[in-house]
Amino acid sequence: MKRLHLRYVAVAYPITGKLNEDYETSVTTLRELIKELDERYGGFLEMFINHETGKLNFNTMIYYGEQGKVPVAVLDIEQPVSDGARITFW
Amino acid sequence: MKTRSDREQRVLRVNLSDGKVSMERLPEEWTHIYLGSRGVNARLLYDEVKRGTDPYGPDNILYFGTGPMDGMPVGMGRLSIACKSPRGTVAEGSAGGFFGPELRRAGYDYVAISGKAEKPVYLFIQDEQVEIRDAGHLWGLTTYETDVALRGEIPDPDTQLRYIGPAAENLVHAAVIMGNLNSCGGRAGCGEVMGSKNLKAIAVRGYGGIKPFDYDSFVEAYKVFRQRVDIRTSRDMWSPVWTTYGAPVLSRLFTDIGNLMTCNASVMSWDYEKATEISCERFLDNYAYKSKSCYCCPLPSCQKLYSIPSGKYRGFKGGNYWAGQPITFGSIIDNGRLDLLLVLSGLCNQYGLDVFHVGFTLSWAMECFEKGLLSKGDTDGMELRFGAFDEDAMVELMGKIARKEGFGELLALGCTEASKIIGKGSEKYCLSVKGQELEAIAERNLLMVALGVAVSEVGPDHTRWYPPYPCNPNLISKEELLDLGVDLDLRLAFDTRNPEQKGKLLRWFTISRAIVESLPSCVFLVRDTLGLDMRPWWYLFRAATGVDMDYGEFVMAGERLMNLDRLFNVREGFARKDDRVPYRMSHEDVPNFGYKKVDDALLNGMLDEYYAANGWDLNTTVPTRKKLAELGLEDIVDDLEVNGIEVG
Repeated sequence: MKRLHLRYVAVAYPITGKLNEDYETSVTTLRELIKELDERYGGFLEMFINHETGKLNFNTMIYYGEQGKVPVAVLDIEQPVSDGARITFW
Repeated sequence: MKTRSDREQRVLRVNLSDGKVSMERLPEEWTHIYLGSRGVNARLLYDEVKRGTDPYGPDNILYFGTGPMDGMPVGMGRLSIACKSPRGTVAEGSAGGFFGPELRRAGYDYVAISGKAEKPVYLFIQDEQVEIRDAGHLWGLTTYETDVALRGEIPDPDTQLRYIGPAAENLVHAAVIMGNLNSCGGRAGCGEVMGSKNLKAIAVRGYGGIKPFDYDSFVEAYKVFRQRVDIRTSRDMWSPVWTTYGAPVLSRLFTDIGNLMTCNASVMSWDYEKATEISCERFLDNYAYKSKSCYCCPLPSCQKLYSIPSGKYRGFKGGNYWAGQPITFGSIIDNGRLDLLLVLSGLCNQYGLDVFHVGFTLSWAMECFEKGLLSKGDTDGMELRFGAFDEDAMVELMGKIARKEGFGELLALGCTEASKIIGKGSEKYCLSVKGQELEAIAERNLLMVALGVAVSEVGPDHTRWYPPYPCNPNLISKEELLDLGVDLDLRLAFDTRNPEQKGKLLRWFTISRAIVESLPSCVFLVRDTLGLDMRPWWYLFRAATGVDMDYGEFVMAGERLMNLDRLFNVREGFARKDDRVPYRMSHEDVPNFGYKKVDDALLNGMLDEYYAANGWDLNTTVPTRKKLAELGLEDIVDDLEVNGIEVG
């Protein structure tokens, strides 16, 4: 299991109802994580992944940072997810 | 009642020294050459405010400029305010609200105010009726009080107002011009110049109409435009968050990525709990009670009115929690209390103070205090430490700055001039360029920002270019770029810490913003193609004005404006030596994040690329003769040479 630090900024906040959470999961990619989060927070998948292209929506943004590294904007939804990662959705 | 759909632009000229008022029609081709608003203001300013003019003297001219699209129902309600800055540069700031469309309805596109009134006055404009009225009873009032007082004596409630507060009356550094209570504009000195002219306010009401030149084409152009700003269809990542929250959205993310100036930018990351306390989410949950937009804006919510519901500031009301305030009254002074932040910010609006001037000068003073360069003897007994200052004294200090009282008199100068008085190396902690304080965007991790801050003709101003984040070069394809004539490798250009291509990127961003502000519209609309595809604006402009120009000419109009700003500055003696970043950014790495300082070698490489891309001399930054000819600005060569400036 991996322990992730998730942060929900701006438009992601009303969907989750929370600003942050520590989250345990076995997913391996960002796509899987978003799909899993959608089961908890309805609308999450639609917000972040374009249903026609299967890629990240252009009008949202995800920052991904591993422990000891500065988070950077994600361009590829297949981004691997590591234990301890801090991920910001907005 | 007249309905305007013409290309002609008109200037209302008011001389406050002798009270003369006249109306002048600009050549119709100016709409083709300079578009309008900021573009026309820049040309008028260059021609009419000569080298060496005293910024506070009667020969400085204060321009309020609308433009050929102002009043169109697609978010075209901006206003460009320009003059010569007390810092010697061009001063220009864009304002929103409703004043611009109202001025056009009254039959004018520009108001050019020269001279100096003997006593406080305000200008009243209602169609052909133009009066200079006594404002003795308004002098000394806050902006809110002025709004209420004027609305009490002008019968028509739809009259639009622009006014100054006590800060501008007292010639406080960077004081702004306010309107609609919380809408400010004219940073960089326009408020000071308005105060120096004893002009308290302008009131305008027009009963004419405005319509597009070609209505059907305009509707078609609007459909394209609308799709690109609509929250459901836009590819602009800012569109959903601005529509919901407004601008102050990023404090929590910024602190994670080393982008949040904290404790006078000595560190770039803040306590996450504090960043959360002042976040947009907390603001919307606890303080915002109403959304507000500028004239016909398709993003209906980027401004918010707020009220403090409990605690010692219960009942305090204000407006506009923008991207700047989380820095200027939050992290930069280490204040994690949102109620206090909103009070300080709200008081700036009431006094007509520039939040960036106040925040960055306070943080400079705090660092000086902590390093022993200022003492309680200098600060009226105030303990001035980051995160540990006397709250009541801080609130009181806003008024003291506006009135130049006690310690406020020093801070009212801005950190550049204040550090000259204090000396002892205090200038190293002053975060300013060309005498003007920084804004909210960090430099050392975003090299294009460092370059943009350095070269900006008005001093640091993020609205002059598109902020290069978040970086998603996939928003526009290589093929589209080629079609648009943009010669950029976007992956390299958007590599935030690689200096290559930053000069070329900044050039395009500056041109695109110059175009938008000359229509005029809001630079925060249509950012989906990174400001590189200006065709939505071009379609709208042609339909609205009937001006037949190809896309290349449209882009060149933006470039022309960018050159006019530079020409004004070089004529005043500014050169490459003035295009710098603050000492801290050029001498200190960012702790913990691995971002290196922007030292001379790094900056010089980017400057060379930027000047070369613009066709400017690498040392003097004067546009070359060839570039001026290309832009149709040959007539300026003679003026430059008369003023002793060599044109290569």
